[in-house]
Amino acid sequence: MNTLDFSILAQSWPYLWSGLLFSLSLTAAAFAIGMVLGTCLALVQHFEIPVLAQIIRGYVAIIRSIPLILVLFWFFFLVPIVLGHLSGNGRPIPIGATYTAFITFGLFEAAYYSEIIRVGLRAVNKGQFEACQALALSTYHTYRHIVLPQVLRVASPIILSQTIILFQDTSLVYVLSLTDLLGAASKLAQLNGRLVEMYLAIAVVYLVISSAASQCVTTLRKRYALATAR
Amino acid sequence: MPQETVGHATQPGAIVIVENVVKRFGAFTALNDVNLEVAKGEKIVLCGPSGSGKSTLIRCINHIEKHDGGRIVVDGVELSNRIADINSVRCEVGMVFQSFNLFPHLTVAENCMLAPMKVRGISQGEARDRALGLLRKVRIQDQADKYPAQLSGGQQQRVAIARALCMQPKIMLFDEPTSALDPEMVKEVLDTMVELARDGMTMVCVTHEMGFAREVADRVVFMDRGNIVEEADPETFFRAPRTDRAKGFLNQIIH
Repeated sequence: MNTLDFSILAQSWPYLWSGLLFSLSLTAAAFAIGMVLGTCLALVQHFEIPVLAQIIRGYVAIIRSIPLILVLFWFFFLVPIVLGHLSGNGRPIPIGATYTAFITFGLFEAAYYSEIIRVGLRAVNKGQFEACQALALSTYHTYRHIVLPQVLRVASPIILSQTIILFQDTSLVYVLSLTDLLGAASKLAQLNGRLVEMYLAIAVVYLVISSAASQCVTTLRKRYALATAR
Repeated sequence: MPQETVGHATQPGAIVIVENVVKRFGAFTALNDVNLEVAKGEKIVLCGPSGSGKSTLIRCINHIEKHDGGRIVVDGVELSNRIADINSVRCEVGMVFQSFNLFPHLTVAENCMLAPMKVRGISQGEARDRALGLLRKVRIQDQADKYPAQLSGGQQQRVAIARALCMQPKIMLFDEPTSALDPEMVKEVLDTMVELARDGMTMVCVTHEMGFAREVADRVVFMDRGNIVEEADPETFFRAPRTDRAKGFLNQIIH
């Protein structure tokens, strides 16, 4: 039986590190795009803006019912073809694996975040709206200063949980031949034949990051519970 | 000051005019042709059994509920569907709710500063000075940087009063301000309201605190089933109510 030899980590950590950085920046970008877009999608539904609200409802329903990996494939293979048709010459216009990853994850997460925020919007106490009305605050100021901050606070544990899932899901960019943490590890593993060590090591990395974030979820839950004790 | 009237005496200098107002919730008629005028500086206590329409009436005065018929004129502005009219009325009318409705994510001072800054357009420094001044008035200035959840119910309601006053309203509406409070906290809120009344604020209070009504009210208005049934000065109303419904109501709340 082979003994485990972790010395490979010592030589290859810069490559793994760059993979981890890619995973983290994809997570951060998808979080940012997803939150901004998701908030907009939720507000359109919340205000029942005609036509647009129905379209968004359909979009969210579709995105949430198909696997992320399928959305990645769609974007990678179909969007260039569509773009090609739109541009008129009929030849596919490749958008590249990196752009595909960032756009897809952003759009995908937006659907999930929008559902979280939409539910949060409905949970805001009616009295808060009445207090804003009584103070003559405009709809914009009401949502900007009173409603959305409360929604984001209440929903922050769920949003963070969703982001932990997002971080783990970024490993799917492997199928686009992008080098995230998992991609870097599997390339090295195959090169050196040290699969067990490699996969064990990055499992620890995922575990540490995800459980640290989970700890934050617990802290947020507690803090929020305190803030609404009365 | 508008002086027009329909079929009942207009007091000179009425700051709130409620005229033939009707409000329905589906098939239920909450206000059935209600007329009420509030003079500048007058203190009115609205009372009546639950479901009699007293809360609905004051909520119509700042258009939190939209009336279905009749006219409401506040400080010369008639409430219509125009947002500008609604907002200008709301700027002059402060409201205190039964459930406080403070903003839980903002500190006490921030609760008081937000609307003056965003609606009145005053600077942050001025808003903070005004907030601290009014928090001192309700004797809670040392809690300015705490969050509402860290305060007792009575303290929260006093913050809510200060928050409304920060908009420098001409009229204050109170919707059962002490009903959600523990008994030992009722007095501190009522004391604040009495003080406000002594300063000459125009006040319309929905409350069952009869001691407060005797002390400050110029007029007690008794409502039942969407109508104003009886109006009188507090002494007359409590000693010799004219209608059976008012007698029955007073018997119930005094036991």
